[in-house]
Amino acid sequence: MERRDREDRRGSETRPGVDKRANRTILVRTIALMLAFGVVLFIPLFVQLYAIQIRDYKFYQEKAIGQQTRDNAVAANRGEISDCNGKVLAVSATVYDIIISPNDFKTVQENWDDRKEKGKTPDYARPEADVVAVKLGAILDKDPERILKALGKHSKYEVVGVRGEQEVAEEVRQLIRDLHLSNSVYPVPTSKRYYTYGSLASQLIGWVNWKNDNKGAWGMEALYEDSLAGKTGRIVTARDSKGAEMRYFFQDYYDATDGNNLNLTIDTTIQYYCERVLEKGIEMFDVQDGGFVIAMDPKTGAIKAWANSPTYDLNDPWTVTDPVLLEYLETVNAKLVEKGEVSEEEKKTAYNKALGDMQNRQWRNKAMNDTYEPGSTFKSMVLAAALEEGVVNENSSFYCPGYYKVGEFNIECSKKAPGHGQQDLAKAVANSCNPAFMMIGQALGPEKFYNYLEDFGFLEKTGIDMQGEGKSVVWDRKTFVAPGVKENAYLATASFGQRFQVTPIQLITAASAVVNGGHLMQPYVMKSITDDQGNVITQTEPTEIRQVISEETSRRCRTILEGVVDGGTGKRAYVPGYRIGGKTGSSETVKEAKEDPIISRGQDYTIVSFLGFAPADDPQIVVLLAYNAPKPVSPGSNYTAKQHYISGGNMAAVMAGELLSNILDYMGVEKLYTEEERTMIDVTVPNLVGQTADIGKSAAESAGFSIRTVGEGDTVTAQIPVGGAIIPSGSKIVLYLGAEKPTDLVTVPDVRGQTAQGAQESLAMFGLYLKIGGSSRYMSSKALVAGQSVAIGTEVERGTVVECTFVDNTLVD
Amino acid sequence: MPTLKRDLTVEQKLSRGPMDLPFLMLVVMLTAIGVITVFSASFPTAVSEGWKDGPYHYFIRQAMFAAAGIVAMYFVSKINYQAFRWMSVFVLCAAIAMLVIVLFFHTKRTDNVKRWIPLGPLTFQPSEAAKLGVILYFSARMSKRQSEKKRQYDLRTPKGVMFNWMEDVGLMELVPYVAILGVIAILMYLEPHLSGTILIFVAAAAILFAGGIKLRWFGIGIVCVGILAMLMLQGYQSARIVTWRDPWSDPSDRGFQIIQSLYSIGSGGLFGLGFGQGRQKQGFLPEAENDFIFSVWCEEMGLVGACIVLILFMLLIIRGYWIALHARDRFGALLVVGITTLMAAQVFLNISVVTNLLPTTGISLPFFSYGGTALMIQLAEMGIVLGVSRQIPAPKQG
Repeated sequence: MERRDREDRRGSETRPGVDKRANRTILVRTIALMLAFGVVLFIPLFVQLYAIQIRDYKFYQEKAIGQQTRDNAVAANRGEISDCNGKVLAVSATVYDIIISPNDFKTVQENWDDRKEKGKTPDYARPEADVVAVKLGAILDKDPERILKALGKHSKYEVVGVRGEQEVAEEVRQLIRDLHLSNSVYPVPTSKRYYTYGSLASQLIGWVNWKNDNKGAWGMEALYEDSLAGKTGRIVTARDSKGAEMRYFFQDYYDATDGNNLNLTIDTTIQYYCERVLEKGIEMFDVQDGGFVIAMDPKTGAIKAWANSPTYDLNDPWTVTDPVLLEYLETVNAKLVEKGEVSEEEKKTAYNKALGDMQNRQWRNKAMNDTYEPGSTFKSMVLAAALEEGVVNENSSFYCPGYYKVGEFNIECSKKAPGHGQQDLAKAVANSCNPAFMMIGQALGPEKFYNYLEDFGFLEKTGIDMQGEGKSVVWDRKTFVAPGVKENAYLATASFGQRFQVTPIQLITAASAVVNGGHLMQPYVMKSITDDQGNVITQTEPTEIRQVISEETSRRCRTILEGVVDGGTGKRAYVPGYRIGGKTGSSETVKEAKEDPIISRGQDYTIVSFLGFAPADDPQIVVLLAYNAPKPVSPGSNYTAKQHYISGGNMAAVMAGELLSNILDYMGVEKLYTEEERTMIDVTVPNLVGQTADIGKSAAESAGFSIRTVGEGDTVTAQIPVGGAIIPSGSKIVLYLGAEKPTDLVTVPDVRGQTAQGAQESLAMFGLYLKIGGSSRYMSSKALVAGQSVAIGTEVERGTVVECTFVDNTLVD
Repeated sequence: MPTLKRDLTVEQKLSRGPMDLPFLMLVVMLTAIGVITVFSASFPTAVSEGWKDGPYHYFIRQAMFAAAGIVAMYFVSKINYQAFRWMSVFVLCAAIAMLVIVLFFHTKRTDNVKRWIPLGPLTFQPSEAAKLGVILYFSARMSKRQSEKKRQYDLRTPKGVMFNWMEDVGLMELVPYVAILGVIAILMYLEPHLSGTILIFVAAAAILFAGGIKLRWFGIGIVCVGILAMLMLQGYQSARIVTWRDPWSDPSDRGFQIIQSLYSIGSGGLFGLGFGQGRQKQGFLPEAENDFIFSVWCEEMGLVGACIVLILFMLLIIRGYWIALHARDRFGALLVVGITTLMAAQVFLNISVVTNLLPTTGISLPFFSYGGTALMIQLAEMGIVLGVSRQIPAPKQG
């Protein structure tokens, strides 16, 4: 180009040539412009449009939609939680938060002033902040000062009341109409969870936290949050930049999907029994650190009840109600009050920390989160393993001198020298003899022993559908099977359930396998999830993890374990009519590095427990209950202040008997009495006066009584005892057939110290009747009369029923 | 003889030739699309402003101006463009006069920008006149370039020597152009009106370039503009650059417009939300019917619609240069180059701005942006191009 320009100028004299060249320049340069402006410049535009509209489409579209739409959430109804019989445990309902908008309140006032200025004073009073505060405060039960303060803020959203019932919302709406507050005060619907049974199964059910968007915070509520919560619906409205509804545009409605219902395997009635027995035991035995009860269907692994103590009310989870925890909080508070030099702020922080600790303690599901030394209850599994492996049988004999020598250690039996002496296998189990079990452990050998630890599921989590299952603390195989002296001690202590820790749920799962025919079942709590129409969405099928022992071994174990209750350490769990098997446990605890604020572990911290199942021939329920740390009357003592011997047999077994009796009654398990027991069953005496002699006799006999007749008449004229009295069925009643009923009084004899049999005979001599009273359901030959309902020496009518209480003072572990 | 018409002169005959049909069709199509887009983009604004003719307020006005503009285009095309040679001086002078007037007599605005002269209900931008004036005058002057005699200087004075040297290197002939552009630039700087100045410079440069001015002067010119730009990048202008690089650095103020524009374009996707269905114009996108009308089009018609419009513009521009290449004389060619380049620059700058390819500056999109007088002037300019096309010699037969 440059060259051509120069030529142009040089040849300025030759016009046609110059013109031609100039025209050529215009031509070439115009074509260059055409390419530049008509093509090249457009390329970046196409590229940029592609980048914005295709490559980054998602990004811009979301941003645009975000500013163009207003999302209004449509709350989904949270599903219900029910027990296995369909009893509702948790249900949601609508409640209202009360919101005020101080900015809008000012506008309301300004509008009033405006109208007044224009001469159109409204026919209602000017809405004043203090009036609103007082009236609203009265409805919401809040301090008017606080509401007044909120009204003074520069804000559009101040929450003044939370979770008010429908009636509260209605009152607030009325107030809004009365005072003409328009949109400066309004109720906002939200959801509240109601727990029908309050504290029932609280750690298991868990609760929703309204402070966190009504999401499940603990337990089943948290674990099945996704199923229960449902899907929040949305109303999406297109809005212009000022928030007004966009012209000619869309409104989309996405339906809220209600949550599904959760049906648990829990049975409310059994749960109630478990909690009652837990509370009762805690009070009776001065238990310092709560306890737990688990009830399980051994055939399926379904959890029937799950009780923890300390517990709390699900409807008010932040409040501490347990007496032990409250006492601790009071001591903390008292200490803080004493401290003079600390500021109020710090005191509050310290107290809140203690409160938080206690809240966590009551929320905690210790029957699964925590591990403990199972103690003698673990012997059930050792027994099963030894029988399965054939290293012992019912004829094996063990000699217990009160201790057992492992290497250079002497490990003592709970019954110190002279010990249990010679005993067969059943007896050794019934005695819960540690030396015998150490011998059994030795017979098994560490390898096999460890295999069974593994097979019974003690090395892994059970996989129960609950949150935060703890992990057992067990030696690894290499350590356990090593041939050293110390290692032998591991095997020895493990044989009677000490020096390792498992979770209660692991223990009861393994125990179920021992008695149900050897099947290790996966425990579960969710029975099914159903939609609001009742259609099943998912349900849990019982899952067998593995068969650990044979059906036959299981049967033999049941027989031997039944012997524990029938005269062994677990005899206090005996319930006439029911065949109960079980195993007691009393485990001492090891001091922990981190000191507990309420009670420290160590020598005086004993966990007394009982593992029970019934009926022994075909178990339908397995229970595991434990009380943590009954308080000794003095440090080192084996007795509580109320003279209860601290042991599984003397504490947990008693409670287990009551519990199993309740549960079996509820489940409708038929009672089968032994001949001896039958005579001790309480029966109501029928009223036979006026009947013929024959009918009277047969009626009395069919009720189980034996009969003595006095007189020769055809009709019963009188009877002893009178109709309606409740006496043991083995008693003899007297029918008077026309003969005079003696009206003389008899003196009540002293039967204390006698056995039931003896007492009954002594009383009968005076024409009196014995009734076995109190909580003593068991009747062993060792139980003696401790008290009688009618004082000694009292003159009473013949036929009077004397209720006697029995005490068995034998100590069992 | 009865009333026989006098024979037409050759010139008159030529000016009655056929208009370039492709160019005409493209102009009409773009105008039609533009007017319809104004309707879609403006109705929410119209409704919220509460005009009595409701959502059609802006549409009706734009449609009327478009119709008038098409008529004007036709009549302008009938004018023998050779007449613009002598008119150009007056147009330029009038434009410069108006640029002065607008500094003292203008519509009141809060931002105190003085760009519009009120004319009854309408407003008029002197810069539009300046564009036309510059294009006409520069084309007329450049077309005579080859016929001008080399000036003689008294080589005995140093001044004469210097002028002679300047004449030799081709600097002397640039003086009037630079002077005119300088005056206009200063006047428009006082308004201020940067985008208008840029467009005038681009159009002028295109005419000078096509007219044969030595390339070195363009090199020097670009360097000067570069230095000037660097100096202006202080203060307000540099903030503009920051916003351009990252609109989200100030999303509620400086970046707001461009962010909203990107949301509009981006949410259109491939096929768009459908005509009239755009949401961004509902108060989010500022100047939806004006500078950012192309964003509305992209949101509603998607990438496909955007490409169609861009291709129509490309065809129009290419056809414009084609007319320049085939023009009967140099003046016609340069005139068309100037007008076409002006339009091309305006399209490029507007779309670059709305897509954030370049920093924000207020340039409207030809045939699309709302504004009656601007549309009329645009169509009149198209009429000039069509006038030139009428005189294209018919291809030789056979």
